[in-house]
Amino acid sequence: MIVISGIGWISKKKYGCVKKAVCRGYTDIKSLHSKLQNESIFLYPVKNFGRFDMTSKMACCAGALALHDAGVKYSEKRKQDIGIIGTNTDGCLRSNLNYFKDYVQTGRKLARGNLFIYTLPSSSLAEAAIHFGFQCPLLYIMFPQKQVSSLLQYVEGIISRKEASTVLAMKVDEKKAVCFVLSGEDDSSSK
Amino acid sequence: MKHSRTNMHAPEAVVVACDLITPYGLGIDACWNGLLSGKTAINPLDRFDTDVFQTKKAATIAELKTGQSDSLVMQMLKPLLEKASAIIPKDALLILATTTGEIDILEKQVLNAKDNADESAPGYLLEKVQCLSGIKAPGIIVSAACTSSSSAIAQAGAMIRSKEHDCVLIVACDIVSEFVFAGFSSLMALDKDTARPFDKNRSGLSLGEAAGFVLVMSKERAIQEERSIIGEIAGWGLTNDANHMTGPSRDGSGLALAMRKAMRSADISEDAVGCIAAHGTGTMYNDAMEMKAFKSVFASGALPTYSIKGGIGHTMGAAGLVETIVALRSLREKLVPPTVNLLVADDEAEGWVSTEPDSFDNPVTISINAGFGGVNSALVLKKGNRQ
Repeated sequence: MIVISGIGWISKKKYGCVKKAVCRGYTDIKSLHSKLQNESIFLYPVKNFGRFDMTSKMACCAGALALHDAGVKYSEKRKQDIGIIGTNTDGCLRSNLNYFKDYVQTGRKLARGNLFIYTLPSSSLAEAAIHFGFQCPLLYIMFPQKQVSSLLQYVEGIISRKEASTVLAMKVDEKKAVCFVLSGEDDSSSK
Repeated sequence: MKHSRTNMHAPEAVVVACDLITPYGLGIDACWNGLLSGKTAINPLDRFDTDVFQTKKAATIAELKTGQSDSLVMQMLKPLLEKASAIIPKDALLILATTTGEIDILEKQVLNAKDNADESAPGYLLEKVQCLSGIKAPGIIVSAACTSSSSAIAQAGAMIRSKEHDCVLIVACDIVSEFVFAGFSSLMALDKDTARPFDKNRSGLSLGEAAGFVLVMSKERAIQEERSIIGEIAGWGLTNDANHMTGPSRDGSGLALAMRKAMRSADISEDAVGCIAAHGTGTMYNDAMEMKAFKSVFASGALPTYSIKGGIGHTMGAAGLVETIVALRSLREKLVPPTVNLLVADDEAEGWVSTEPDSFDNPVTISINAGFGGVNSALVLKKGNRQ
């Protein structure tokens, strides 16, 4: 049996955790980041957070909220066998546009490596995996419909097949995110 | 692992059909013969102006033309899938693997100062591929940087072994676009001439483009349908370095872990592996990291190892699928293709890679990929019964 041990979410002006019944407001992503640091929801500073694209910022924040809700600890010094699977509706379309428009505006002479890094649908998940130290499968999966239920069903398969004992599953884009911590029942009972 | 081959009730995942288009041309024979010839398909690029970039070369498919109604990706996929649609079961699960998909649509919109690039989003491509393949259900997209298609094949194998599906079609594609070319150039990742995987004087990768498909079935269904079995996806391992966005973990531990997981999943030991299909991009750090991982896993000595990226460049999200098809051909022929463009092997790679084709005995290949974000994949491939 698979259990959901924590859920974190971010909407346009609010963020929260389900189990811990947290629901608070924020003004912009910078303020959200500060709040999560001040509330010790981020257990240590996110390296290079300011340079991330918006989806990566949201992925890190939503991941921290879900892990906080589930009581899963992570550390800079220890890597863990946890997977990260993400979805959304349009890959990284906004980041693709930001990068290519910037390149065209410079006269098609100079592309910015820092913007190019985020032109993969998996980049935001990778930033989260690096921060949290997660070493199991990292996949962006796009489902044509019912994204959240399809994502949860997919992750259930990954856990059942023992590809990872715990998975951070998130639907994330530039504006909103919801993130779940899923585990096999045996693995979650000790947390 | 619960669903390893030691579980006798777990179905085997076998490849019953595959095809591809690469810069060597349409079809597996073109790619295989191109690699054996030792000639590179990396050439001067005329698709867009390359004057300001690190290199003027890439491996492109000559038949693809910009300015057509179909995107470059669709120009690759149409001849492949139209030909194959008769042999693709309509109840197969479709998995599309790509990193940038129809990115030329976005390029066109931005360059023409239009602000609607939505049609470059991956969901549109998934619908088109579903139509071309004739599969009933829409399927899913798997994207994990340069491990996209090998990760998709791993997922297909896992779904078949766990009996969630008994037939999966994996389609992979990526193109050489100004979008990615400028990006890799800005990261100083490109060789100014042509990629030289595992060479002492390697200095970067070359970009390439390709598309292909692999049809994977449970062995039981393949036998029922009297399909010839090209090979088996016998094991897989997916890991993440959790270290850096653009650089691999220097010690190769993430990749070594993926390889060990794949062998455990296939229920084989290191001794059973006959050949390594390396990622081998030609960048200094990637190839060094791979050799560390190989030596850590295969501590008893060198195994025949090759990279095809000196021949067709780095085909990004399609790389793993192309390499799987080449590895299956290599298993059939019992022949290790040469590492094209290799001149003098790096000290660490000496005795592993070769400029000449070589034979090998154990009919098992481990095919590996690594990519941005620290993702790693390993597939254990076995020879099939096709004559």
